[in-house]
Amino acid sequence: MAEFLDLEAQDGVRMPWNVVPGTKQEATGCVVPVAAIYSPIKPFPNMPVLPYSPLRCRTCRSVLNPFSIVDFVAKIWICPFCFQRNHFPPHYNSISDDNLPAELFPQYTTIEYEEKASSSTPSVPPVFMFVVDTCIIEEEMAFLKSALSQALDLLPDHSLVGLITFGTYVQVHELGFGQIAKTYVFKGSKDYSKDQLLEHMNFFLKKPKPPTGVIAGARDGLSAESIARFLLPASECEFALNSVLEELQKDPWPVPADQRAARCTSTALSIAASLLGACVPGSGARIMAFVGGPSTEGPGAIVSKSLSEPIRSHKDLDKDSALHFHKAVKFYEGLSKQLVHQGHVLDLFACALDQVGIAELKVAIERTGGLVVLAESFGHSVFKESLKRVFQSGDHDLGLSSNGIFEINCSKDIKVQGIIGPCASLEKKGPLVSDTVTGQGNTSAWKMCGLDKATSLCLIFEIVKKEIPDATVPAASNQFYFQFLTYYQHQSGQMRLRVTTFSRRWVAGQGSIQDLIAGFDQEAAAVVMARLVSFKMETEAEFDPIRWLDKALIHLCSRFGDYQKDAPSSFSLSPRFSIFPQFVFHLRRSQFVQVFNNSPDETAYFRMILDRENVANSVVMIQPSLISYSFHSGPEPALLDVAAIAADRILLLDSYFTIVIFHGSTIAQWRKAGYHNLPEHQAFAQLLQAPADDADGITKERFPVPRLVVCDQHGSQARFLLAKLNPSATYNNEAPLPGGDVIFTDDVSFEVFLDHLQRLAVQ
Amino acid sequence: VDFKTLPRPLDGDVEPKSYTEMYPMNCNPRYLRLTTSAIPSSQSLVSRWHLPLGAVVCPLAEAPDGEEVPVINFASTGIIRCRRCRTYVNPYVTFTDAGRKWRCNICSLLNDVPGDYFAHLDATGRRIDLDQRPELTQGSVEFVAPTEYMVRPPMPPLYFFLIDVSISAVRSGMIEVVAKTIKSCLDDLPGFPRTQIGFATFDSTIHFYNMKSSLTQPQMMVVSDLDDVFVPLPDDLLVNLSESRSVVDAFLDSLPTMFQDNINIESAFGPALKASLMLMSQLGGKLLIFQNTLPSLGVGRLKLRGDDLRVYGTDKEHALRLPEDPFYKQMAAEFTKFQIGVNIYAFSDKYTDIASLGTLAKYSGGQVYHYPNFQSATHGEKLRHELARDLTRETAWEAVMRVRCGKGVRFTSYHGNFMLRSTDLLALPAVDCDKAFAMQMSLEETLLTTQTVYFQVALLYTASCGERRIRVHTAAAPVVQDLGEMYRQADTGAVVTLLTRLAIEKTLSHKLEDARNALQLRIIKALKEYRNLYSVQHRLGGRMIYPESLKFLPLYALALYKSTPLRGGYADAALDERCAAGYTMMTLPVKKLLKLLYPCLIRLDEHLLKSPAHDGPKSVEIRLPLAAESLDPRGLYIYDDGFRFILWFGRVLAPDIAMNLLGPECAAELSKVSLTERDNEMSRKLMKILKKMRESDPSYYQLCHLVRQGEQPREGILLLSNLVEDHMGGTNG
Ligand SMILES: [Zn+2]
Ligand SMILES: [Zn+2]
Repeated sequence: MAEFLDLEAQDGVRMPWNVVPGTKQEATGCVVPVAAIYSPIKPFPNMPVLPYSPLRCRTCRSVLNPFSIVDFVAKIWICPFCFQRNHFPPHYNSISDDNLPAELFPQYTTIEYEEKASSSTPSVPPVFMFVVDTCIIEEEMAFLKSALSQALDLLPDHSLVGLITFGTYVQVHELGFGQIAKTYVFKGSKDYSKDQLLEHMNFFLKKPKPPTGVIAGARDGLSAESIARFLLPASECEFALNSVLEELQKDPWPVPADQRAARCTSTALSIAASLLGACVPGSGARIMAFVGGPSTEGPGAIVSKSLSEPIRSHKDLDKDSALHFHKAVKFYEGLSKQLVHQGHVLDLFACALDQVGIAELKVAIERTGGLVVLAESFGHSVFKESLKRVFQSGDHDLGLSSNGIFEINCSKDIKVQGIIGPCASLEKKGPLVSDTVTGQGNTSAWKMCGLDKATSLCLIFEIVKKEIPDATVPAASNQFYFQFLTYYQHQSGQMRLRVTTFSRRWVAGQGSIQDLIAGFDQEAAAVVMARLVSFKMETEAEFDPIRWLDKALIHLCSRFGDYQKDAPSSFSLSPRFSIFPQFVFHLRRSQFVQVFNNSPDETAYFRMILDRENVANSVVMIQPSLISYSFHSGPEPALLDVAAIAADRILLLDSYFTIVIFHGSTIAQWRKAGYHNLPEHQAFAQLLQAPADDADGITKERFPVPRLVVCDQHGSQARFLLAKLNPSATYNNEAPLPGGDVIFTDDVSFEVFLDHLQRLAVQ
Repeated sequence: VDFKTLPRPLDGDVEPKSYTEMYPMNCNPRYLRLTTSAIPSSQSLVSRWHLPLGAVVCPLAEAPDGEEVPVINFASTGIIRCRRCRTYVNPYVTFTDAGRKWRCNICSLLNDVPGDYFAHLDATGRRIDLDQRPELTQGSVEFVAPTEYMVRPPMPPLYFFLIDVSISAVRSGMIEVVAKTIKSCLDDLPGFPRTQIGFATFDSTIHFYNMKSSLTQPQMMVVSDLDDVFVPLPDDLLVNLSESRSVVDAFLDSLPTMFQDNINIESAFGPALKASLMLMSQLGGKLLIFQNTLPSLGVGRLKLRGDDLRVYGTDKEHALRLPEDPFYKQMAAEFTKFQIGVNIYAFSDKYTDIASLGTLAKYSGGQVYHYPNFQSATHGEKLRHELARDLTRETAWEAVMRVRCGKGVRFTSYHGNFMLRSTDLLALPAVDCDKAFAMQMSLEETLLTTQTVYFQVALLYTASCGERRIRVHTAAAPVVQDLGEMYRQADTGAVVTLLTRLAIEKTLSHKLEDARNALQLRIIKALKEYRNLYSVQHRLGGRMIYPESLKFLPLYALALYKSTPLRGGYADAALDERCAAGYTMMTLPVKKLLKLLYPCLIRLDEHLLKSPAHDGPKSVEIRLPLAAESLDPRGLYIYDDGFRFILWFGRVLAPDIAMNLLGPECAAELSKVSLTERDNEMSRKLMKILKKMRESDPSYYQLCHLVRQGEQPREGILLLSNLVEDHMGGTNG
């Protein structure tokens, strides 16, 4: 394990197979695909940032890296991807064995280049377009207003801000008007083209519309003055924005008792996108949507206004009877294309008891690398704290960056099927592009409109090398090379290029199994399988995830387990594999697979977070961590089992989206009695405090901020813990464990699951 | 005909008095005037009379103090009306059967007297409670209407302002004057505390204003989708004035600067109209439109027309004076349907198609105010005054008017600003004291057998206080068999008013020349007819004779012939001014119209030189004939047509007078000089005179133009062309 974490700490890469099955057949037999989970701009404290442009291979355009073979005498380097011999340019003349440029240092496999700011391309400040739902009750409105005005305080002074509010109509606020609050109002049910919008908002009053060509910001087609009416530096529009927010009213149109409010989310977003597309194309701009209910108006409506029509459930989607779903998704696909083209991000803050349409919006959020937060209310800390985090600077800032383009190079026997994660295919064809597409594929380059420190992509590879008849392969060539290139606009406003180059040994044929086992990263494998199964559930009709996961696990165990045929009791797994079945067991029970327990919105939300998180966090989503606190010992990991519950224990469950602090009944009694306030019971106070501190620590680093539940054994909130525990003691058992709890479920327990697995694996 | 020999109406309008003794209970002529008080008994008389037979009604005419129309509340009794013809009880009904029945004076039906209304009759057959029953003794009364007279609760007075903020509007300074005037009138709008108010502005887009009372500032909402106009808020665009007063004040304070940098040259007038309709349709009210730029975008856009010289004199000429796009008439019909009266204030320095815009006012009972080439420095005062009057004068809301008349007589056509709802019901969404309506009548049968014909005007309306009322004016007129009597009992004022409206209407379907010729022919025929009646006995030879009652008719007809809507051809009046004058004259009450046709010309210099002791009011009011001979080069004259003053400085006027009145600027070109009060007795005296003249005629503001004798072409345009008795008075046609 540790060595995989070391590799991650150096390059931000985790792979299920760190020794790669070297042939197509071999790889197929490995069940878990050759893949990599890569965090493109994960911060590394010691990573150099080079103030010059990278050297590139003449043929394949890959960047000079520590794996290149350098001939110091001839001043030549050989590209490890295509073996092209490249001459160093004159300014590299002085290189020698002991005078290496940083990009050739063996430890700098991940490195960044930042070209000096040239005056011809002034850095564009970050742009925030707030899109705010007003079809919410006064109380929610008050919460939202206060959250927004706090957020505005945190905005960098030079960032540009715009505001759109919507309900029955869309209102674009002309914050630069100065005199009184002024908005442009658009019908929620209508589709406006970008040209119409510009015309309607008087963009061509002082500077006539160019007769031909595309309108693209102040440089092309629009006057800076007309743009400044809608997008103003935060420092300048603070007053205007705050007064607009202060007087912002709930959507005033009456809503009949049997109807939902007319909420035109899609039209508002489309207008926001078009406005940004016209004003600041190509610059790092984010649409931040704050939505408090289902969209009922316009092309992206998810449900009709009539309350007699329920909002679609997974069942409806399954039966394909969700009337609005496909139309809405199609709309948001179009919007995502537009946003990707413009380089803009869509963030969604969905705060409602109802579904708002995250399932439909998902495509636009995910392809633009947007953030998503789901909470019950704008007053809930999950929303409030998360929003604060977006704008917070310092240690726990998100590191929001923009305008990313991600490209890869690989050795010629590898092709890429695609990426499951927050990006959009740029359809750049080439020899390393596989015909099989998984996720965003058909390309070797992806757009990442928005990316941050945590963003993690899951690349699915395909090994195309045919079977090698002769197993004796020259050792020099049993390495696969990978190079990940990420251009992005750093928070500083400067464009940077991060280059990560790494290699993995490949093996094939007989005797390779031990090597494969040694290189198996079961956490990474679990996460790849989780993303894959989610992806397949969304895209493949009639897909049976349980069957698919079980089959995969059985195959994997048959292949890599140690057993005598047909003797289940003889079955054992190497430590490299030993907890993988457990991951699969929990994955089967997770919100990613058991979707019927959740709404389509929740599922979409969980999956979007899964698809952007790193391995460690994803593992927590699949299999929550449980820590036990008691007087008997320090904090220690506990088995995710109902047996972990004890009256004199505090449990801290981290299921990523929710953190539960669970007080055993005795602890709860003491606490209610106020013992922790008494000087003689300092130890108890410390015991109470420890999980709270730990929860706090987790919360600080996580986005979206998890929901914190503090509950007592037998209390109603306890279900948040119980739902995640292995049902080792269910009501099916004759005698419940003394002092423990019983979980009411028909799920099979892990023991039963394992039994089955062993039986099937050895067949 | 030598017009110089004609009698001149130097005393202005004279109301007919001939039958006041015969019918003392008739309503005052300020409310109802017949073109002749002698109703002909036969068709043949009618056809020989040649002048129009009809009436001019001004239902809300301002009454001097003490002569206000009494308000009567029948309460539970209900309003007493004839069962058959729905005539309201009036002084001419008769009580019989010991007071248990009353006979309708219009249809003769015998109606029961309701128990609550019963009163005994005295020996002469008069009700003993007569002195407590104004409706039985006075020709004009106002009944408080019970709920049967309402289709909905009485609406509050509502003022919605639609203001052009395009670049030309901004530059003219109109917006500032409008904003300040409205603000200054807010305390005086009728109907406090129910009064509602709202605003929208427009250029290429439409701007609404949220005036919710809880806001500190109004919020502007721009709707730019001109093909699909909508109202962006369900409430708060029209607000209760007293509740939202501070927001309204804030809006009016910022309105002038809000658009000061606007460079928008377009006008989405039509879409803005539609938006206003949507906003106002729930309550109705008054829509005041301030327009500067020719409608250029969306529905109802208009094009420049009227500068095509070649159209004049052809069959297509009249089309220029008609709305070009049916949209305007349709909108007017919609406005009326929803009880919205439209007033147009037009300010353009270019052609702005008043013909089309005025349609909105015409069919909604509104009014057209035209300020061509408006500049606030020059015309601001006029706009301020006229807008203030428009806003503060008592207004009757959601009104309908019907004029009933006795058997055998029938009103056949109506002329003025209104929408005819059925054959005889005039819809008047908002009507006031400055509006008069004319109508023609005919005999239904060949012979009238009754001695007397009765007329009854009934205006059902909502008063600003929220009461639903019916104002009823009743009058009687004798039936005559003698054509001469008809002529002798003619009312020149009413005749001229009706003739004016008919002539203006004729210009909408014919060439100007045809309209003028028809008018001329009619006058000549009438005078010939009268002459023929008496030529035998008087041996008059070629001389023209006319009855005393019609002695001013020829001169008024001449003046009408030369008036802006009818005069000359292409070059004699700008098309917009012609149309605007036409729309205005179609609504004017008799007095106002006569003054416009034959304005006052008064010499002032002698009066100004008199010491204050001799400051008798009468001395200023010696009116002079409207002829160049009246003007002495040593004198200072004022010309007043009720719409403007022209102050004429004779060439050899004593220099100290000019100096006193104009100060050192008196030598300058007078078009650039404005008249202000100076620190001397003479100047104060002049200003006092002007003030007094204005006060006596408050419906429009007379802006004072200065001109010096010989200052050409100004003198010609301003004054000389309006001296109707002179040949040069603009009669190219
Ligand atoms: Zn290469
Ligand atoms: Zn009757």
